[in-house]
Amino acid sequence: MQLLSGDARRAVFAPLDDGALRSEAVVRRVGSAIALGLLADGEQLPTETDLATMLNVSTMTLREALSELRKLGLVQTRRGRGGGSFVCSREDVLAELADARLAELGTTDLRELGDVHAAVAAAAARLAASRASRTETARLRDLVDRLASAGSVTGQRRIDGRYYIELAACAQSVRLTMQEMDLHLELGQLPWPPAHSPGLLDVIVAGHRAVVDAIEDRDAARARALAEAHVETRTLWAIELRLQRLGGAAAPGSEREVS
Amino acid sequence: MTDRGAAEVARVTGAVSDLVEQVFVTVSRVRERVLSSVERHGLRAGSWVLPDGVQDLLHEPGQLAVGLGLVVAPRPELDLTQRLEWWQVDPDAGGQLHTLEPDLRPMSLGYYDYTTAEWYDVPRRTGRRHAFGPHVDVHGTGRYVLTMTEPVVAESGFVGVAGADVPVRRFEASLLEALGHLPVPFVVLNDEERIVLSTAPRWLVGALVPPDGRSAGPTAEVTGTPWRVQLVQEESVLRP
Repeated sequence: MQLLSGDARRAVFAPLDDGALRSEAVVRRVGSAIALGLLADGEQLPTETDLATMLNVSTMTLREALSELRKLGLVQTRRGRGGGSFVCSREDVLAELADARLAELGTTDLRELGDVHAAVAAAAARLAASRASRTETARLRDLVDRLASAGSVTGQRRIDGRYYIELAACAQSVRLTMQEMDLHLELGQLPWPPAHSPGLLDVIVAGHRAVVDAIEDRDAARARALAEAHVETRTLWAIELRLQRLGGAAAPGSEREVS
Repeated sequence: MTDRGAAEVARVTGAVSDLVEQVFVTVSRVRERVLSSVERHGLRAGSWVLPDGVQDLLHEPGQLAVGLGLVVAPRPELDLTQRLEWWQVDPDAGGQLHTLEPDLRPMSLGYYDYTTAEWYDVPRRTGRRHAFGPHVDVHGTGRYVLTMTEPVVAESGFVGVAGADVPVRRFEASLLEALGHLPVPFVVLNDEERIVLSTAPRWLVGALVPPDGRSAGPTAEVTGTPWRVQLVQEESVLRP
């Protein structure tokens, strides 16, 4: 089996730095890769040994994670010739997984994640204003148009992620681009706010459009400020969604630090 | 233009041109191997056109490219979807060769839509070779590269583009080495007014030069590329 080797896929199978004892981290990584379409429905996963090596977890941890993914219905294992573990993309399960993840996190974890994303996206937008060519700006605009008309939650999430990654590439920065990919693998583990309140998609689209306009006007300060403010708004959405779940799904003792 | 300026811009342009041509020699070899393979075996949906052995070019002494191959034009009537036949070498990991297998599913966050990339589209439209970049090869190699491509046209029509990736860092190092002593401040600009290379700290590689920031220093075109070399005025940034 030939594994895909694009840079986003490398991020999916990159070593988990907190993975030593944590099968949950593997489950989350695989879940967000499915949500972002990086692992497609019906796709075969690497063998247990390969997967454990890539993610830098023990085979035992990996087996635990696969067993959990099977229980959730996100992975099917077939025995015998042509057997192996195969991905099942299920939007309902992914939504449940995202809700469970949100319930584990504290509002400060969400704030921390938002702070980093705001820093990266704002820097990318500022640099893109002086580095993005006309063709690249047109491509960003096209992504925003596609986001506005994307029908499904997964479609919206993927195009939104592509917009941020493309923005960082427009900044001519490999490091910012990789940062965005890693951030989206984390953000992909959380609920998608427009799924809870559809009007928010318009806010996202308008936010991105304003940034692309500023980039087109070569206004670096405005592009930076708008990109930062937009991510800050989205961080507040995540925090409110988290607070709405107070007294809900979180079982005692399930609080975890995001590392 | 002073005589010294003219001589210096000619010297730099010559060195840039030599390096570019060196890369295009590799690209042309890839293209020729592809053409002879297409003539012999045709284009088939399930198998590579690029013959085995082409990847050895990456191990040749002095090779600037870290990736090369064929990017196939989708031909729905032949059941040919998007396909890359691309070899890469990882100079930091013992020079191991491997193929690039990018994500070609449009529904994925990581979709590598090369048909809209300029390094593919320009040779396809114009029938001429193209030097593109610097660019972040996002969803592909993830590297910061210059991509040099040539169209491959067989009797049956447009097959795709043959190309090679050169890391910006490697191109810069080779050029500085070729120029010897510290050259006068210059920039290499492409037709988007993007700085491809620079020996002046305020002129950052990858930035676009704004219309009001353009210098009127001695300039020379780099033949066969959308690039030009321009001398710039630059004072040290280290002086307080």
